[in-house]
Amino acid sequence: MNPLIEAINLSYTYRAGSGKEVKALNGVNLQVARGEILAITGQNGSGKSTLARHFNGLLTPSKGEVLIDGLSAADRINIPAIRKLVGMVFQNPDNQLISSIVEEDIAFGPENLGLPPTVIRDRVNHALESLNLQDLRHEPPNQLSEGQKQLVAIAGVIAMKPKCIVFDEPTAHLDPRGRRKVLESILRLNRDEGITTILLTHYMNEAIHCDRMIVMDRGIVEMEGTPCEVFGRGDRILSLGLDYPVAAQLAQGLRLKGIKMPNDIIHTEEILSYLCQLK
Amino acid sequence: MELTKNITLGVYLPGETAIHRLDPRTKIIAATILITLLLFIKSYEAYGVFLIFTAAIIIVAGIPFSYALCGLKPMLPVLILMWVFQLFLYSTAEAEVLFSWWLFTATDEGLHMGNLITLRVLFLFTVTTILTLTTSIVNLTDGLESLLKPLRKIGLPSQELVMTMVIALRFVLILAEELDKIVKAQMARGVAFDRGNFIQKTRKVFPVFLPLFINAFKRAEELIVAMEARSYSGGKGRTKMKTLHPGRIDLAAGGIMVLFAALMVYLIISAVPRV
Repeated sequence: MNPLIEAINLSYTYRAGSGKEVKALNGVNLQVARGEILAITGQNGSGKSTLARHFNGLLTPSKGEVLIDGLSAADRINIPAIRKLVGMVFQNPDNQLISSIVEEDIAFGPENLGLPPTVIRDRVNHALESLNLQDLRHEPPNQLSEGQKQLVAIAGVIAMKPKCIVFDEPTAHLDPRGRRKVLESILRLNRDEGITTILLTHYMNEAIHCDRMIVMDRGIVEMEGTPCEVFGRGDRILSLGLDYPVAAQLAQGLRLKGIKMPNDIIHTEEILSYLCQLK
Repeated sequence: MELTKNITLGVYLPGETAIHRLDPRTKIIAATILITLLLFIKSYEAYGVFLIFTAAIIIVAGIPFSYALCGLKPMLPVLILMWVFQLFLYSTAEAEVLFSWWLFTATDEGLHMGNLITLRVLFLFTVTTILTLTTSIVNLTDGLESLLKPLRKIGLPSQELVMTMVIALRFVLILAEELDKIVKAQMARGVAFDRGNFIQKTRKVFPVFLPLFINAFKRAEELIVAMEARSYSGGKGRTKMKTLHPGRIDLAAGGIMVLFAALMVYLIISAVPRV
């Protein structure tokens, strides 16, 4: 089957032709398979947000091409269809919730699609259920925790029934508890509802839960592979301004102390079970 | 949260009374009729009838009288000032002088005018307060959107206007919180907002509002992107999850309103001119 999202030699320049050009993307080639969960990491300014915004038609390529389910994002006619296919969740929940009532906000997307009221009601109910937000349906967003607000934002996208959701650092504003909840929800939606997921993140401990990850730097894809492969390639990740996941850091520390550790440890459970075997 | 506490905009008293259950459109139209009537009332008798009517609504809606009136407190100085101005400044040639002091002369017409205008403002305030106390913001905007919809034909972007209102209402609280944060940050750096004369105090306000406005614009930009990502492209082709269904209760309320309006019109027309 053809990939859901495909970027071919994609380049993007901010303020093109103004003399103060910023080349954010520099020939990116990428394929996102249906149903997979892909992490995009990279330090600030590496171009990951710019890349993600192409997937939803918020930006159109300066050069190259982006195909969403075969539709070219460069063609304005395709934009409404692309936005129906790919939803986006942003970093700051306060700046993406529109209504003063949770369920009304979740209804915002389906309302934009021009669906009949009963269908919207069903979708809102489904979205509330799949994120366990039923009790909050009549609450005003400013009474919720940041984590809950972000879940509402996700529900708002779920209600549009997209095939893919792009999460642009969805946990950056949250405390550890909120972060855990949001990540769990993202993984569950991918597993249970088969929604193709693209997760932009700075946290390597989030990236390790993904099927595949890419590391971006200065507008190009520097590394690509399963988290095991990427973190197994020596210190490359550090030179790109990122870090190892906690378990890999620990494994590295033990290695330096002379304890033999396998190269592909990234999950906490892996290192625990390995250490228990040593004993 | 000190700043958000004082924002009484759209305070809503949840309830299940007949007034609460009315279709928001009925309530908005009724309030508009009442306000229009107020602009023409010139006799105390008519105000008396109006008072009885509003009091009845307040009782049916289960609003405590103290609650309905406490919002008036901050307006009192303005009301008194208005009354005093009218008392001394309004008069015609035939007016009878009540008393005069230095440059000021109070006439019976001034007194009458002052009373009328003060009563008018009081009732305007009460009518709008009843509306907002018994109608949630969401209902209010839904009703407004539905009422303004026909104006789309003459080019008024009614849905966009209502969307702007919805967003403004959501961001009032966010910006109030932000203002609070900025003020506290400045205080932590030694700014004493309550000290100094008027000019000094005013100058201290600029470093507070500048970051607030810049942040507001940044938020607005992010919000636009988020709305676009959720397929928003203006009011065209948009549907609503909640549809409004006027019922028998709205019919009854409409009937009562028509009767009351007829009575008021009669009182207004038949009022004997005082001069």
